[in-house]
Amino acid sequence: MIDIILRDAITFANLLTLLSIGLSLTYMTTKIPNFAHGSFATLGIYIALTITELWKLNIYTSLLIAPFFGGLAALSLYKFILKPLMNKGASLVSLMIATLAFDLVLLSFLNIYADYLTKTFKIKSRVFNLRGYDLKIGEYSAIFPISLILSISLIIILHLLLTKTKFGISMRATIENPSLASVMGINTDLVYSTSWFIAGSLAGIAGCLLPIRFIGNPDTGTTMIASIFAASIVGGLLNIYGAILGGYLIGLTEVLGTNYLAMWFGSWIIPYRPIIPLIAMVITLLLAPKGLSSINWYKIIKKFGSEK
Amino acid sequence: MLPVEIIFLIDLLASFSVYLIISLSLNLEFGYTGVPNFGKVLAVAGGAFVVGSIPGRLLFNLMQINGNLDFITHNALIVAQITNNLKTNIPLSLSIFILSIIIAAIVGAILGFIASYPAIRLREDYLGITLLAMGEVLRVIGNNYPPLIGGSLGVQVPDPFAWIGGDLRFAITTLSMLFIAILIFIYVEFLIRSPLGRTLRAVRDNEIAASALGKHIPMIRMKVLMVGSALGAIGGALYAFYTSAVIAGTYNRVDWTFWPWTMVLLGGAANNIGVALGTLIFVGARKLIIFYKGFFAPYLPFDVVWLDMLLLGIVLILVLMFKPEGIIPEKPTYTIKVNHIKKIIENRKKV
Repeated sequence: MIDIILRDAITFANLLTLLSIGLSLTYMTTKIPNFAHGSFATLGIYIALTITELWKLNIYTSLLIAPFFGGLAALSLYKFILKPLMNKGASLVSLMIATLAFDLVLLSFLNIYADYLTKTFKIKSRVFNLRGYDLKIGEYSAIFPISLILSISLIIILHLLLTKTKFGISMRATIENPSLASVMGINTDLVYSTSWFIAGSLAGIAGCLLPIRFIGNPDTGTTMIASIFAASIVGGLLNIYGAILGGYLIGLTEVLGTNYLAMWFGSWIIPYRPIIPLIAMVITLLLAPKGLSSINWYKIIKKFGSEK
Repeated sequence: MLPVEIIFLIDLLASFSVYLIISLSLNLEFGYTGVPNFGKVLAVAGGAFVVGSIPGRLLFNLMQINGNLDFITHNALIVAQITNNLKTNIPLSLSIFILSIIIAAIVGAILGFIASYPAIRLREDYLGITLLAMGEVLRVIGNNYPPLIGGSLGVQVPDPFAWIGGDLRFAITTLSMLFIAILIFIYVEFLIRSPLGRTLRAVRDNEIAASALGKHIPMIRMKVLMVGSALGAIGGALYAFYTSAVIAGTYNRVDWTFWPWTMVLLGGAANNIGVALGTLIFVGARKLIIFYKGFFAPYLPFDVVWLDMLLLGIVLILVLMFKPEGIIPEKPTYTIKVNHIKKIIENRKKV
């Protein structure tokens, strides 16, 4: 029983981490909180649905297409909406509204597509899950090891990209100081576009694995956006490694916390699950607004060590 | 029965009044002070939930209707009885209407305070994220905690205008809503022309300069959010009275946060007349879509509602890209007339 809950929690945390990394990446480069990030994941959810229910292929083949579509959606948001607005000198608030508006457009297209699937092909396209399409490793479902291995390897690849390649170094330079980087001959626009594409692809990957274990709906992404932001803010919004920490922390507390509280207090507590990431976010903003990555742990450990 | 056109017009006017109040409050927060309130739905839902839970219970105890009944489980029966009793008691009807609106405003202000407190000192993007996340909380609670407003089934609201009766009741309710909306319009106009209004614009245009002149930025933002949320809650309360039911599910992000945002941006932020125009255009367009829904529906393989949402998203993006100042842009601040200044100088010289 607990084993299954723990597996679910880790699976959810893996996917949430992929989402929060993307969110932090775009925030670090362009300094815009992207409210449409959740819907890139929903795009992945519907790609997985199409591949399994419509084309009768293995669900994991959607991992080949979903990153492309997610990345394309993110890239078009940056290229066609945010960049022209930034060139016009739009304020931060208008850029945030632009991402919200893009989210609405995506959301309505996803809803239209869901209706289309139901009416034309008689496929259940709302509040569905694709548990039946999961592979089996022994008697266990494959999603747990696959999501774990996939997210850890993606994190390592991203780490290597940022630290070992020339492009990664120019990306970090752009994050540190965009004008100085462009003076040094770095194509900052290319860096920004790439970061948006990577963020969208990671969201797409997370999205197509999500319905295997959890419920998929056109508004899954928009309801998850609070958790994603909570994860990124707990991690500090300006640090990819913080986003990893925040993603696992929020993902695990959200699932485990809800389940343990339900065991103690009864099942009425389950619908209040969205409040858990919010509380984590509020505590972080009140105590350490720059997130866990900003806290000087060495100093705290030293202080407690000297008291003993 | 009234003709369809008249009903359509009355309904349009009622929605216009509700949305005008909410867009004006958002204009105060975003247009004049620059606070990105992406959680407007919180205040609106707060006001509506007050109307769903308080006046019904109050009258239930006051009128001493069969005490064995439970307010939530026998809601329809109790509320029907209350409305029936209210028909003959005009002073009680009006006082319960006004009292509910006052309580809604107070609850709205408290919600505004709670929602903005964690991030009020941080940059506007953190504030926006926090407000957006907070906006969802009340709906989650309302949907899952039946004692508040009957959970996902919702509750009925006693009708304080039942004493009018017949076709006129609809019209009078709408007119009184419009009256309240106009009062709020006048209040906001006076507010922004006062010294406080100039302070708000200073906070929006240059935070550093404003704080260098001794203005406490977080306090000003918080006050504005509290006033804005109180006004938003009045809008929600009026909507609840108008539809005479409160269902938690209807208080979603799209209807009560993004629609007002589009109205404010389309009409022109920091210009109340522009905002009123934007509200009229958008409410009109939406009502027409709903009115002609049956006409479109057979030709589309999907629900017309999504077309409505698509329109909202596209209009928002187009406005931001091509007309960020809105239809009627912000006017320069009123200053003292040249002749008046000359007069003052001449008076000084005489002395």
